[in-house]
Amino acid sequence: MKKLITASMLALIAGSASAEDVKLQLKWVTQAQFGGYYVAQAKGFYEEEGLNVTILPGGPDIAPTQVMAGGGADVMVDWMPSALAAREKGLAIVNIAQPFASSGMMLTCLAETGITSPADFADKTLGVWFFGNEYPFLSWMSQLGLATDGSAGGVTVLKQGFNVDPLLQKQAACISTMTYNEYWQVIDAGITPEQLVTFKYQDQGVATLEDGLYVMEDRLADPAFQETMVKFVRASMKGWKYAEENTDEAAMIVLDNDQTGAQTEAHQKRMMAEVAKLTAGSNGALDVAAAEKTVASLMSGGSDPVITKAPEGAWTSMITDKALMQ
Amino acid sequence: MSRALPILTVLAAILAIWYAATIWMNATWVFDQAERNGQTVTWAEVIPQTMTQDRPLLPPPHQVAANLWQGIAGQAITSKRSLVYHAFVTFRGTMAGFGLGILLGVGLAMAIVRYRVMDGSVMPWAIISQTIPIVALAPMILTLSNSVGIDGKEVPKAIISAYLSFFPVFVSMIKGLRSPDQMQLDLLKTYGAGEGATFFKLRLPASLPYFFASLKVAVAAALIGTIVGELPSGAIEGLGARMLIGSQFGEPLIMWAALFAAAILAGLLIVAVGLVERLANRRMGGVA
Amino acid sequence: MIIPTHPMWLAGAVAVWLALWTANVTLAQSRGRAARIAMPILFGAALLVLWEGIVRAYQVSPVILPPPSTIAQTFAASLPMLWADFVQTVIKGALSGFVIGVAAAFVVAIVIDRSPFLQKGLLPIGNFVAALPIVGLAPILVMWFGFDWHSKAAVVVVMVFFPVLINLVAGLKASERMQRDLMATWGASYWQSLFKLRLPAAMPFFFNGLKIASTLALIGAIVAEFFGSPIVGLGFRISAEIGRLGLDIVWAEIVVAALAGSVLYGAIALTERWVTFWHPSQRR
Repeated sequence: MKKLITASMLALIAGSASAEDVKLQLKWVTQAQFGGYYVAQAKGFYEEEGLNVTILPGGPDIAPTQVMAGGGADVMVDWMPSALAAREKGLAIVNIAQPFASSGMMLTCLAETGITSPADFADKTLGVWFFGNEYPFLSWMSQLGLATDGSAGGVTVLKQGFNVDPLLQKQAACISTMTYNEYWQVIDAGITPEQLVTFKYQDQGVATLEDGLYVMEDRLADPAFQETMVKFVRASMKGWKYAEENTDEAAMIVLDNDQTGAQTEAHQKRMMAEVAKLTAGSNGALDVAAAEKTVASLMSGGSDPVITKAPEGAWTSMITDKALMQ
Repeated sequence: MSRALPILTVLAAILAIWYAATIWMNATWVFDQAERNGQTVTWAEVIPQTMTQDRPLLPPPHQVAANLWQGIAGQAITSKRSLVYHAFVTFRGTMAGFGLGILLGVGLAMAIVRYRVMDGSVMPWAIISQTIPIVALAPMILTLSNSVGIDGKEVPKAIISAYLSFFPVFVSMIKGLRSPDQMQLDLLKTYGAGEGATFFKLRLPASLPYFFASLKVAVAAALIGTIVGELPSGAIEGLGARMLIGSQFGEPLIMWAALFAAAILAGLLIVAVGLVERLANRRMGGVA
Repeated sequence: MIIPTHPMWLAGAVAVWLALWTANVTLAQSRGRAARIAMPILFGAALLVLWEGIVRAYQVSPVILPPPSTIAQTFAASLPMLWADFVQTVIKGALSGFVIGVAAAFVVAIVIDRSPFLQKGLLPIGNFVAALPIVGLAPILVMWFGFDWHSKAAVVVVMVFFPVLINLVAGLKASERMQRDLMATWGASYWQSLFKLRLPAAMPFFFNGLKIASTLALIGAIVAEFFGSPIVGLGFRISAEIGRLGLDIVWAEIVVAALAGSVLYGAIALTERWVTFWHPSQRR
């Protein structure tokens, strides 16, 4: 019996010693928005590839770019506008995969404010999150020709928290929402869809690429790291496709991993179903045309563009090429 | 009984005002919703509705109490939804910050009283440090400790908490270490005691009453520091995190329950430290 | 990690530190006022040099910790933005809340003083609330008062009220029995006794409370901005720029906050010296 235990312990140690450690920094708190990664972990997809993945939840005041720059993570989930802005600031990060094919960002307004089209935004108060999520919004306002400093004829911008109270308390005419999260919070609060006017960034032509996987460029030069990332992307995409097909199970996995105890089953199941709509159609490879459209949208911000010159080498397909080869 | 009566009266008055305010503040939402649905409501219908909202502007006392009870007794203590668990996380952080703050406060005070160089150079900066709002520095402390290689959020949270709690201890220790009067200092000089001996045999014991008196303020400051420290550190565990999450996820009841739990924790800590102070006073022969 | 990439910077910084420290040791022996002002300045300068040296020696990325020289540059270049943030947070939020909170504490303290019943009832509760983490109320107050500076002022009022109240009440008790009897022998009414004896005697306690309140006011105003604000203000800027990796702006804002806090504290200390000139602690 003792020999069996010793042998199995040695095997465990040997097994875990050969597993590579990967730290993934999420863009926000544990929720179904990152369901694919949690599913990959819970279902053993990472283990199969020989990876020992630690998923670090994000949250208010955590900038994933900064965590990665400080060495706290190997790979992060971020939105392309924020990543490109960081890249222009001197932080060389590169997109290695794009699980989210479509954008879920919207601007939701109360119908009673009389807003029917983007032209009606002038002289209203609009809410937007910061921490990287303000770039698509600022870009859109710039393209509409609306100043964001609160001057007459422009819009007053409110830094909203990640709840929908500004809309419910009528402190803002419109707030930023995601199709999978805040919009449903508004509905849950008792407002019916008929009482809302919603503008989807995708429909307005100002959508930007959202959740993608990013790593530091200098680390990508190391072939061993490339190999690890290939395995990671492959397992993650497997997790995403599983989540797309089994949204309820994925939601429960996410709930199990939630350390705050604040997420609810109903909310997560709905979120997972909505997120599945955004990841559908992507096998993980970045659609270069969509990426260039994002770049164009960010650069056309009039007097205040998010980025001033076209990025070079901001994305690479070398990881997804190898990962999807099999 | 005569001591309790005024307190109870004031509490009763506060509760009455609270209920009135609840009705007044939550009524707006009820009227708005009725308007949106094309109905009219009378005050008789509005009042009960203001007491049972999911996202009240001001939850009535019984709703807060129910949520608090649910968080404390309605969950397994190890569950992530348990307020006891989160209170323990905050308590752990507070103790770490409190301990670090005491070390810093006492150490710095001893150095400043002992060496004139420290007194002139560091003392003004110690005072100025309290005028810098720690909340502005908190995210920086977190980033820096992460990049220096310190894993996890416990160390930065302890530093932030110690930042706030070291000052009361520091100020009191300085007063205490400087409290021996000239007669006592002269007496030790007649015994041939050097600076070091005077320090350890006279100044340090004289400072103990001041030290214990400052602990109550320090522990309250440590709790505030821990809660402030939990805000930028990813807000996952701890009472400050629960408050933030309640606010961010649009669940005001979580926020209120966490706030009251923090209040209870603060009360318990202060009572505990007060007991320590009384014990120490008694042993040192002072007024119990 | 311990070996810097540019050791000369570190060596230079340490050398400057040692030189300034030696200067301070010599200054510590002299008793002049110039020496007393010079010592903390030299110490602060030495810290800055050390910071700059470490950052340059270890090639620390500017998105982790920018060197003081960059921060100074950014500070000079962003003065209008810094000024706007300062006005929003400190003047509109913190100062207005401070004034309202102190005034309210004053009124309540006098009301409590007139009624021993309220004293016994309100004070224990007040002591309790003063120790609470009021920062927890910030999100609730933002929900109630909206996003603009009103909610920040409200947070400051709540944070400032209780420390000032407790200190004032303690101060009103501070006049000695003999002094109060003397006023009675002169036939002074309650209000005359209040204004001519008890309030002046309470001033040292009051200013003690004000000093505590000033630090709390700034903290309250900045924390409240984390929970929702228009796109201007110290708390907002710090939080937003961390997300944008604009750490030099964050440090510039921290400098503004530190300056504001120090100036406020210094103003209170100066007023204290003028008002309570008679108190032993003001002896030079």
